[in-house]
Amino acid sequence: MPNLPQRKVGIVACSGEELPEGTLTRLAALKVLEELRPAQTVTICLPLFLAGGEGDRAFAKFYPTIAVDGCDKRCAARATELYSNKPAASILVDEVLDRQGLAHPQSCRRLSPADQPSVDAVADAIAAEVDHLMAARWSRTEGAILELTEAKPAVSTAGCACGSGIPVTTVQVDGQSVQLMALEPILDMAYTQGLRANGELPDQILQTVQVYNQVPAGEEALYARAVGIAWREHCAKRDGVAHG
Amino acid sequence: MSQSVVIVPCSGIGKTYGTVTREAAYIVTEDLRPADTRIVPLSLLVLGDEEAQAAVRDAAVVTLDGCKLACATVNVRQAGGAVAKEYAVLDFFRQHRDMKPQGIAELNAGGQKLAQALAEEVAATSDALRSEEDNHA
Repeated sequence: MPNLPQRKVGIVACSGEELPEGTLTRLAALKVLEELRPAQTVTICLPLFLAGGEGDRAFAKFYPTIAVDGCDKRCAARATELYSNKPAASILVDEVLDRQGLAHPQSCRRLSPADQPSVDAVADAIAAEVDHLMAARWSRTEGAILELTEAKPAVSTAGCACGSGIPVTTVQVDGQSVQLMALEPILDMAYTQGLRANGELPDQILQTVQVYNQVPAGEEALYARAVGIAWREHCAKRDGVAHG
Repeated sequence: MSQSVVIVPCSGIGKTYGTVTREAAYIVTEDLRPADTRIVPLSLLVLGDEEAQAAVRDAAVVTLDGCKLACATVNVRQAGGAVAKEYAVLDFFRQHRDMKPQGIAELNAGGQKLAQALAEEVAATSDALRSEEDNHA
């Protein structure tokens, strides 16, 4: 049997030097690699795909990768697929920032302290995908996820990376990992007020979620579905505690 | 008037020397020779972006590599570009051992000095390339 390395997730950042968002991909990827998920991730050098980096190509062929792109040309995602294998997940900086109502960076060379929440948000999105991929069953021979688990929220035990101390919960919205701020306390408050999961998500829960999180126009139903799953799980857990 | 000299730095995100190449490229294109130079991102070349490939085929190109794999140089050549001058930061550091770079997201003072020194040399190279081009025109 070949001596295969421990399973890790490869992060391919576009690192585009021409755009501030390219710089953001690089800093967010570094944050994940060095601080958030150092034991579960490795960096894959995008230019090495063409320059003869057989190791990088082979890794991306058999292990899950997350492409992080700064613009909709999606160089990281498309080049990874072209030279190796389709990335298991693809993150576009614009989408993450727009979804959370965060500012876009202005400088390519050096981001300002005001850009740190944007770096944190993209890093959190990458980390959420890492968690999702590490939890899924992965086929080394196919280079693909064998089995997708049902969309299942994972409650973060840590506070938001912005340092506010507000807990964040990762949910799956239309197949994408999305972090919602304060979801757990909102569900907790609703349960304490006597609301229960009986098939439908109470309107006031989604309204409160929208106070703390920006839900993109047109995606309300997708978010409602994801919050509904989290709500049912929360109620089941609390009911279990109450009855146990 | 000759066209801009294209600077292609290494796009590596995991090592200090990659950061030095990028910082040097920004110093040249933003501070020292903003009107005469421009960066072409390596990621676009890797993808085969037509505009980026045309840019390296039609202009004098200076590559800045952060490791011996020389991704910037290799990718420019694969795109059909002619590299007028290639710099390897490791070799450059060997000539400037007092400027030891550290840090990836942010360079230490030694790394900043090394990037500045490299940028000044690249700017001089860029002047020479433009002047050559003008003489041939």
